[in-house]
Amino acid sequence: MKKLALAVALAFAASGAFAQEKTIKITGFGAKTGPVRTFGINSHAAMNAAADQINRSGGVKLADGSKAKIAVEFLDDGCNAEQGISVIRRIAGTDAVVAVGPTCSNVAESLFGILQKKVDDKGDSGLQFPVFTDVAIKVGLAKISEWAFRNVPNEETMYSSVFYWLHSKHPELKTVYGGVEEDFAHSRATWHVTMKGRAQANNFQVLGESKWLLADTSFATQVREMKKANADIVAISAHPFSLCGALKEMQRQGVKPKLLVGLTSSSSLETLQGCAKQAEGIIIPTSFAPVTKEGKAASEATAKYKGNADLHSMAAWENMFILKQVIEAEKISGNKKDVQADRRKIRDGLAKLKTTQGLMGVTKRTDDREADKPYLFVQAKGGQWVVLHNPL
Amino acid sequence: MLDFLQSVCDGVLFGATYALIGIGFTLVFGVMHKLNMSYAAASIGGAYAGLLVLQVVAGAAPWMVFLCAFFAGGLIGYLVYLTCFHFIPLQSPLATLMSTVGMLLLIDEIVVHVTDGVPQSYPAMFDDVMLRAGEFTVRGDLLLVFGVAVLCMIALMALLYRTRLGLATRAVSQQSVAAQLCGIRVGQVNAMTFVVTGLLGGIAGALIGASVGTLSPLLTTPLTVKGLIVTVIGGLGSIPGAIIAGLLVGGFENVFQQFRGVTERDLYVMLLLFAFLVFRPDGLFAPRSGHN
Repeated sequence: MKKLALAVALAFAASGAFAQEKTIKITGFGAKTGPVRTFGINSHAAMNAAADQINRSGGVKLADGSKAKIAVEFLDDGCNAEQGISVIRRIAGTDAVVAVGPTCSNVAESLFGILQKKVDDKGDSGLQFPVFTDVAIKVGLAKISEWAFRNVPNEETMYSSVFYWLHSKHPELKTVYGGVEEDFAHSRATWHVTMKGRAQANNFQVLGESKWLLADTSFATQVREMKKANADIVAISAHPFSLCGALKEMQRQGVKPKLLVGLTSSSSLETLQGCAKQAEGIIIPTSFAPVTKEGKAASEATAKYKGNADLHSMAAWENMFILKQVIEAEKISGNKKDVQADRRKIRDGLAKLKTTQGLMGVTKRTDDREADKPYLFVQAKGGQWVVLHNPL
Repeated sequence: MLDFLQSVCDGVLFGATYALIGIGFTLVFGVMHKLNMSYAAASIGGAYAGLLVLQVVAGAAPWMVFLCAFFAGGLIGYLVYLTCFHFIPLQSPLATLMSTVGMLLLIDEIVVHVTDGVPQSYPAMFDDVMLRAGEFTVRGDLLLVFGVAVLCMIALMALLYRTRLGLATRAVSQQSVAAQLCGIRVGQVNAMTFVVTGLLGGIAGALIGASVGTLSPLLTTPLTVKGLIVTVIGGLGSIPGAIIAGLLVGGFENVFQQFRGVTERDLYVMLLLFAFLVFRPDGLFAPRSGHN
C-alpha cells in the first residue's frame, strides 16, 4: 500500500514537474561583441534579473489558467545592421514569442524595415514578429513598422525640458555651441534634430557646431573652433569614448564653458571611468536613476547578474514586466503550434497599451508605438551621477 | 593662416604615432615580405596591458605604464609571430595575410571582452603643459609623443645599422636564402623582428592612449588603415619612408579637416593614397617603377 501511495505521489510530482516545464521564450538581442558590448551585457543581465523575479513569483499566467516560466535567451548582433537582420530572422524561426532589442539605432532602423509595415496587409510579406526595443534611441523609429515598439525615452521632450529649465534657472546664459559625433546614428540625430532645435526654441542662440567621428584620436581643431565661439553652454552629443576625448582636449586648451550638456547615452559608468574629472558638472537628462524603491531593487537585482543599471538596461527590465502584463491580458496559449497567433496577440496587446508602469513612474504610450517616459536630470559630481533636478 | 599652421603642427606631432605604426608594418614587410595586419591591434593590446600596472601598483607613474606597454607589446609581437607565421606555410601569400587578419579580430575581441568595450582613462605625461607663442600653442604631451617617437626611430635605425642583429635582419630582408647559407638563423631573425616591432608597437599604443587621454578598442581599425596608408606612401619596406609618410599623413589629415570638414577628411587622405598608387606606386623612398 505504501508503495502504491509512493508511486501515486511520484506520478503527481512528475506531472507537476511537466506542467512547470512550460515556458514562454523571450529573446533579447543586441551588441555583446564590439566596442558597445557593454550595452548588450547590461540588457541581458537586466532581462535575466527581471525574468528571475517574475519566475520566483510564480511565472506568467497562460490562457488555460496554467502558469509558465519565462525563459530568456540573448543573441549578439554586434551593433551591425546585417547581423541584426540575420539575428531577428533566426529568432523568428524559433518558438520565441517576442524579441527585446536591439542596442544600436542603425540596427533597429534596418531590421524594422524587414518587418511587415502594416498589420494584415496581405501584399506585404514582411516578417510578422513583435520587437520591443529597449536601447536604440534615435527619434521616431517605431513608425517604420506596426510590429515595432519601443520603450526608450523621448529625447525631444527631455532636451526641450533641459533647455527650458536652463533658460529659467540661468537666464544669464545666452549662447550654445554643439559638439557632435557625426558618424553615429543616435548622436548625429540627437544634435541635428533635437538638441539644436530645442536650444533655439528656448531662446538660446546656437553659435555653431564642431564635428568629429566616433573613433577619432584628435580633437584639437574642433575644440579650437569651440574656444573661438566662446559659448556659455557647450552641448556635446557624443558617446563616452569621443566625449572623453573632446572633454580632455577642452581641458588642455582651457575651454571652460559655464555649463556642459551631454547625450543621454553618456549618463553611464563608461563616462565616469573614462574621464570623471573632465566630465565634472555635465548635465544629462535620463530616464533612469536609482531614486525609487523599485529602481534601487532593479539595480541591485541586475548587479547580481553582473550588469549595470542605466537608462537602457532598465528599459529592458521594464519591458519584461510589460510583456508579462501583455501575455496575461491577451491570454497567450504558450503552445508551440500557436506561436504565430501568440506573437500576434502580443503585438496587439502592446499596441493597446496607453500607459505602463516603469521604475520611475508611469510611462505614457503614444499612438506611434513609442514611449513618453518620466525623466530627470543628472549631473556628474565627484565621480558619480547625482540627481540634479526632477522636472516632473 | 595661424589656424592652418596650428593644424599642421598638431597633425605632424600626432603623425609621429602613425609613423611608429607604419614602421611596424614596413619592418615586417621588409624582412619577410609579408603584411602583419594585426600590428595596430597588437599595439593597442600592448597599451591596454600597460594599464595592468595601475592595478598592481596603486598610483603608478605614467612612465611605468609606458614601460609595461613596451614589454607587453614585445611579448604580443612574439605571440603573433608564433601563431600567424611560424607554423603557417610562408609560400602561400594569402595564408599569413588571413591569419593576421584573424589575429587582429582576436586581439580586438579579447580587449573588448576584458574591458566590456568601456573606454579606459590613459595616463599621460606633460598633459598640463602648453607651450604658447601668442595664439599659437603646442601641446606638451604631443611634444613628448613626438620626442619619444623620434627616439624610438633613432634606436631602431641604430639597431638595424650598428648591431649584428640588424646586420642579420638586413641580410634576411635582402636575400634570405643567401643569409641562411651564411649561417644566419632566419627563423630567429624573423622572430626577433616581431619582438622589436612589438616593442615599438607597445610604445606607439601607449603614446596614442596618452595623447587621446582615453583608450578604446575603437582605435584598432582606423590605426590599421592609417598604418597601411603610411606604409604604402612611404614605400613598402622603407623605414625613413614610413617616418616621413607618418608625419605627412598626420599633417595632411588635419589640413583636410580644417578646410573640408571631418566628414570629408578621410576621403581626401584616401585620394592622397590613390594618387601615390597611380603616380608613385613604390612610395616616397623607393625607386620609381612603371605602371599600366
